[in-house]
Amino acid sequence: MATDVYTSGEPNRPDSYGAANRDIIRVLLKPSVAYLALLATSISVMLFGGWCWYMQIRWGMGVANITHPTMWGVYIVTFVFWVGIGHAGTLISAILFLVRSRWRTGVYRASEAMTVFAVMTALLFPVLHLGRVWQNYWFFPYPNQRQLWMNFKSPLMWDVFAISTYFTVSAIFFYVGLVPDIAIFRDHSKGLVRRIYGLLSLGWRGTHRQWHHYMAAYGFFAALAAPLVLSVHSVVSWDFAMANTAGWHSTIFPPYFVAGAILSGCAMVISLLMPMTYAFNWHKYVNTWHFENLAKMCVLTSAILSYAYGMEYFVGWYSQNPYEQAIFFWRADPSADYGWAFYLMVFCNCLAPLPWYITKVRRNPWALFIIAAIINVGMWMERFNIIVSSLAHNFDPATWWFYWPSWVEWGILAGSAGWFCTWFLLFCKTLPAVAITEIKEMIPPPVKGSLEAK
Amino acid sequence: MSAATAPSSIRIKAIYEHLDCLLTGIDRLKKAGITGWTVMAPLPRHEIEEIIYEGQPSPVRWWTLTGAVTGLTTGLLLTSLTASQWPMILPGGKPVVALVPYAVVMFECTILGGALFTTLGAIVHCGLPGFFLDRAIQDPRVTDSSFGIVFTGAPVADQQRITEILTGAGAVEVTTGADTIYEVPNHA
Repeated sequence: MATDVYTSGEPNRPDSYGAANRDIIRVLLKPSVAYLALLATSISVMLFGGWCWYMQIRWGMGVANITHPTMWGVYIVTFVFWVGIGHAGTLISAILFLVRSRWRTGVYRASEAMTVFAVMTALLFPVLHLGRVWQNYWFFPYPNQRQLWMNFKSPLMWDVFAISTYFTVSAIFFYVGLVPDIAIFRDHSKGLVRRIYGLLSLGWRGTHRQWHHYMAAYGFFAALAAPLVLSVHSVVSWDFAMANTAGWHSTIFPPYFVAGAILSGCAMVISLLMPMTYAFNWHKYVNTWHFENLAKMCVLTSAILSYAYGMEYFVGWYSQNPYEQAIFFWRADPSADYGWAFYLMVFCNCLAPLPWYITKVRRNPWALFIIAAIINVGMWMERFNIIVSSLAHNFDPATWWFYWPSWVEWGILAGSAGWFCTWFLLFCKTLPAVAITEIKEMIPPPVKGSLEAK
Repeated sequence: MSAATAPSSIRIKAIYEHLDCLLTGIDRLKKAGITGWTVMAPLPRHEIEEIIYEGQPSPVRWWTLTGAVTGLTTGLLLTSLTASQWPMILPGGKPVVALVPYAVVMFECTILGGALFTTLGAIVHCGLPGFFLDRAIQDPRVTDSSFGIVFTGAPVADQQRITEILTGAGAVEVTTGADTIYEVPNHA
C-alpha cells in the first residue's frame, strides 16, 4: 500500500475524487463580467501592438529607434524577458516532479501554461526584429541556392534549436498532462463542448494499460525537460557571452541568466495565480503554502542573481581590462545615460525580494503580489541594462549613442503582454488550470477495509 | 435465439467505489486464471499497477532511447556533413568539423528526438486515440470517482464464475451484456 502524502501540515484537500472534479469544473465556460472586461482589455492591448507592428511593416524599421550601434533594442530585450518567464513552468512541472515536491501539484498546470504562452510570445520577437517579416523562413536550417548551409557554430543558430526544442517539449509535456483532465471535462459536458473535449482528450478512458504507459512516458518527459530548463537560458546567454562585446563576454552568463530566468518565472507565477485563486475561490488547491514556496524560490534565485551582479564587477576589476572596467563603471554611474536602469534593476531584483526572508511577509497576499510585480519590472530592466548599455557604449567612442525606444517599440512591448494575457485568460476558462488528476493523487483513496490482495 | 446463433462471448462490467475492493477483485481474477479484463481508474494508483504488471516496466522507455539516439545522430550528421560540404580552410587551424560548438545542437536534437519518440510510444502503447474502445469501457463514472473491471469478450461459460468473483470482491454494481453500456446523464 502506498504511503499517502496527505498530512496535517498541508492545506485542506477535497473530501473525494468527485469533489475535486466539481471544484475545478465549476469555473469553466462561465465568464464573469470582470473576466470579460479583463479579456477585452487584453485583446485591445494586443490589437494595439498589432497595429504598431503594421506601422513598422508599412514604414520600415525606421519607426523603431534601433540604429547603429544599438542594433538590439526593446525587441531583443523583450525576447529574452519572455524566454526567462517561460522558465519557471518547466522547472516546477519537470524538476519538482522528479524530486517529488508536493507543493508543485496546485501550481504546475498554470505554470506550464504560462511557459507555453511565454515562449509563444518570445518567438514573436525575432520575427518582429527581422523587419522584413515575409523573409522569416530564413530562420530555418536549410541550405541556400548554392548549397551553403548556415553556420552551426553560431550561438544564434544554437538559439534557434534551443528555443524551438524548448517550446516543442514544453508544449508536449503540457498537453500530455492535460489529457486525463480533459477526459474529465468531456464526461461532465454535453453537445458540441463534449465533442470538442472528446477530441482533445484523444478518447482517454483511464484503463490500466493507458495509465501504465502514460505514467512511464510522463516520467521520461520530465527527465527530458529537466536539463532543458538549464540549457535554454544558458544558450540564450551565449547569444551575448560569445560576442566580443564589453559587458557581455563573460563565462558567468549562463548561471547568471538561468537564476534570473527562474526568479522572473516564479514571480510571474505568483502574479498570475494570486488573482486567479481569489477570483475562482481555489484556496483549497492554491494557497499560502504554494505562494510561500514560490517566494522562497524567488529569495534563493535573487540571492544568486545579486551575487552574479557583484561578481560581474569583481571580474571587471580583477581582469584589469580597461574596456570591461569602463563599461561596468559607466553602467553604475548615476549620471550616465542608463545609470537609472542599473539602480532600478538592483532595487527590484536584489533589494525588493529581501522582505520575503520574513515569514509574515511571505504569507501576506498583497506583499507577495506587489513584490512579484516589482521583480518582473526588474527582470525586464536587467535585460535592458545588459543589452542596451553595452551596445550604446561600445569600443569606439565616436559611435556612442543614446538609445530610447520609440512609441512603436513601446506599443509592441505592450502588445506582447496583451497577447500573453489573452492566451492565459482563454486557457483559464477552457482548460483545467489546476491538475485534477494529481490533486486526486493527494487525496487518500476510498477504502472499505484491509486489503486482501498482497 | 437458436443455439447456432448464440454468442460465445459476453460483456461483463463491475463498478467499485473502494480501491481495496478493486484490488481484491483483480487478485481473485488472477488467481482464478481468468484473463481478458480491463481495469479502469480515475487516477494512476501504483497498487493497481503493481498487482497487474508486477514490476514489469513499460516498453515506452525503448522509444525514448531510440528517439534520443536518433536525435543525437541527426544533430551530429546535420552539423558535420553540412560543414564538410564546404571544407574551407579556417584561420588559426580551427577544425572544419568542430564538435564542441556542435554539442549544443546535438544536445537539443537528442532531447527533441527523445520527446517526440516518447510521445509516439505513449500513443502506440496507450492505444490512443481511444475513440473506438468498446462502449462498456466508455464509462464517465470512472473519470469521476469510481473504479471498474470490464470484460469485453468473456466466455459465456465463465459468466457466472466471473460475476461471483467480481461481486464477492465488493463491486457495487455488476452488469452484463447491453446493461454494461452506461448512459451518460445530463451533468451540465
